[in-house]
Amino acid sequence: MKTVFINPERCIGCRQCEFACAVAHSRSRDSATAIGERPAPHTRIHVLPGPAFNTSFPSRCRHCDPAPCVDVCPTGAMGRDEAEEVVLVDPERCITCAMCAMVCPFDAVDFHVHGNGAPARLVATKCDGCIDRIREGREPACVETCKVGALVYGELNDLIAAGRATQASAMLSAAATAATLPAPAGVTGWRAWGREAAHVNREVSHGRS
Amino acid sequence: MAAHDNVKQFSINNDALAMIARAREEGIETVWDRLAAQQPQCGYCAMGVSCRNCSMGPCRVDPFGDGPQKGVCGADADIIVARNLGRTIAAGASAHSDHGRDILEVFAELAKGESSGYELRDETKLRSLAGEWGIETDGRPLDEIARELADAMMEEYGTSKGHLSFADRVPAARSELWGKLGIAPRGIDRENVEMLHRTHMGVDNDYVNTLLHGLRTSLSDGWGGSMIATELSDVMFGTPQPTASRINLGTLKEEYVNIALHGHNPVLSDVILQAADDPELVALAQEKGAAGINLVGLCCTGNELQMRKGIPMAGNHLMQELVLLTGALDAMVVDYQCIMPSVTDVAKCFHTEVISTADKAKFAGATHISFDPKRGLEIAKEIIGRGIEAYGNRNPERVRIPEGTVEMMAGFSVEAILGALGGTPEPLVEAIKDGRIRGAAAVVGCNNPKIRQDHGHVTLAKRLIENDILVLVTGCSAVANGKAGQMMPEAAEMAGPGLKAVCKALGIPPVLHMGSCVDNTRVLALAAALGNYLGVDIAQLPLAGAAPEWYSEKAVSIGAYVVASGIYTVLGVQPAIFGSPNVVNLLAEGLEDVVGAKFAVEADPEKAALLIRRHIEHKRAGLGLPHLEDAEIGAAA
Repeated sequence: MKTVFINPERCIGCRQCEFACAVAHSRSRDSATAIGERPAPHTRIHVLPGPAFNTSFPSRCRHCDPAPCVDVCPTGAMGRDEAEEVVLVDPERCITCAMCAMVCPFDAVDFHVHGNGAPARLVATKCDGCIDRIREGREPACVETCKVGALVYGELNDLIAAGRATQASAMLSAAATAATLPAPAGVTGWRAWGREAAHVNREVSHGRS
Repeated sequence: MAAHDNVKQFSINNDALAMIARAREEGIETVWDRLAAQQPQCGYCAMGVSCRNCSMGPCRVDPFGDGPQKGVCGADADIIVARNLGRTIAAGASAHSDHGRDILEVFAELAKGESSGYELRDETKLRSLAGEWGIETDGRPLDEIARELADAMMEEYGTSKGHLSFADRVPAARSELWGKLGIAPRGIDRENVEMLHRTHMGVDNDYVNTLLHGLRTSLSDGWGGSMIATELSDVMFGTPQPTASRINLGTLKEEYVNIALHGHNPVLSDVILQAADDPELVALAQEKGAAGINLVGLCCTGNELQMRKGIPMAGNHLMQELVLLTGALDAMVVDYQCIMPSVTDVAKCFHTEVISTADKAKFAGATHISFDPKRGLEIAKEIIGRGIEAYGNRNPERVRIPEGTVEMMAGFSVEAILGALGGTPEPLVEAIKDGRIRGAAAVVGCNNPKIRQDHGHVTLAKRLIENDILVLVTGCSAVANGKAGQMMPEAAEMAGPGLKAVCKALGIPPVLHMGSCVDNTRVLALAAALGNYLGVDIAQLPLAGAAPEWYSEKAVSIGAYVVASGIYTVLGVQPAIFGSPNVVNLLAEGLEDVVGAKFAVEADPEKAALLIRRHIEHKRAGLGLPHLEDAEIGAAA
């Protein structure tokens, strides 16, 4: 099964995946003109802040199988493309009941009005796995734009195996935490400041000082 | 972000927290909301590895090392970080130096007799500056001396002279070092323009070379533009002397027309002070039902007024939106620098009129009254008049002024400090030699919503004075420490035994207000004077700098000129350099062997205090003075 795998320790919060996703789902598919389109194109991936400065997580549809959204959809608007193994929305069938959003474990479904010939009303909007690009043999737009390897595309088990090798040594070290995953000194220093600033802000407001 | 759910994390001050709570209640957006909305912030930019200097880009370098390692032009992380830092320094140095030029231009007009509302208030200083600049003073009228000094200072901005006169203040060893390294500043505008040139694609592609020029650019600020601003402000508005004042949002008075003066340049605010005393305007205010006109300061315009005239201080950088939330501010008069574009948005929720005054700093939603020193007093009266008009629109039911003010003392210019010491640095030097005072630290810089407001400034200063380190403050740090009550002579009780005894003997606070952020030059001048007195380089002195809550480009320039002048500096917020380990190593280690000082980054002021104490004891050891070993101080992380 091919998927977009997330390496959260690699995400630096640039949010370029959000922009690339919106452009990939615009009418023009061109960044300069996409920003002026109405209705505006929307991103399907969302980069969320972590508990401290300088931490973040890119959240997107996991294309579950079986998918709770597909199971609960009363009109069959949510369906699976078996060939590309992605969950897709049929906007014509969507009745905006939001059952899919309620059951989604990742809150990955939003509701927007689209161009592209879709009905001129709010319809379920989620990651389509960049199915058009995949069919052309290209990577999803979010993966293509991610230069730090926080989003990678490939066979699920291959991606897990690649991570396993590096994770093993970190996890087996004496003080294994997510923070000790291998990263260059610059990134480690950048993250350390964020952790410390958040810690100081929290601690002092709870009575120390 | 989650870390910001508890508003107590935003500030240590009750007046700030009360106004933040009001903002939440009334749905008024403030800086903390916008910081949360911006999370997560871009890591490429935060680590300095994004470059948009040309249209082959924009480019970014993957700091993990797997993705692209070079921009389209071939610049690696080192070059890109150095380019960005160089431009940041140039922007900060330019801001300070352009402020200095504005003061200089008014000084020149005053010297020609073409200004209104200005005078040469410190004749002694004018004569001493003229002497320093090799201008004949004996038997010459003041305005003639002033004209010649103004012309000479204008040369500092140009190309033909080739060196800065104020740079001659440093000890000979420092001067020689700058010469050897090729970083002696040649002209104020020149170094800034050259930095923009060097960071254009295909010019300076050696990150060490770019950063050395960064130091030279910053020195053109510290020993050039900023120093001109400080010294000429003293000549025109008076050299600060210890002055009693008050601080907090409680300085606003419900029954008065309240006008806040915000920004950095004292040229306009000084004449506004005169206009506020105008009997006709006071009568007009009373006619409208007010008891009178109450002026308060904000940020560094506030510092300039407080240290010379004792004008009360409403607050520092992060208070500029909150002062509007009192509903009691009738006009906010702004000049430039650090004035958030959001003030006009917040002002729209109340009756407050925002009045911009500098043609180079306009704000959508503000009333613009163009300032012209030739008609200074007339314009100042017009501005006060508008404040009185706005008072008529105030809704008394929306007024919520947090109660209580704190007493503080401002105005410790170098001249005032030497005056307190009896005219010579000897008593201070003796106290340092015998260890009653371990050394001195300048705690300066801004507020930054990423750091709990004032926690960094106040905690660091507190820990330093407890350990007998004299603390010098400017800018937002001066305001923070004033609010904390650390700037009254009585605060000597908070100091360690040695510093406490010295402060009590001299009747001074252990935390000394040295002015606005351009007045960090007073710290430089004091450091140079101490070095010259002892016959040693500045880098040998038990001194340190710190910017616990800095945010602005100007602060980067300040940090760079302080380090380039030989003073170790601890930053509380990380600069955008972490994408290049080479640049980090250079600034945090290698620079020590180049200019005798380096940077450190430490978010926790408790740990920053340990770093500074250790550094000061190392310097004491170097001078053969009694000192503590690291183990006696405790380990900093």
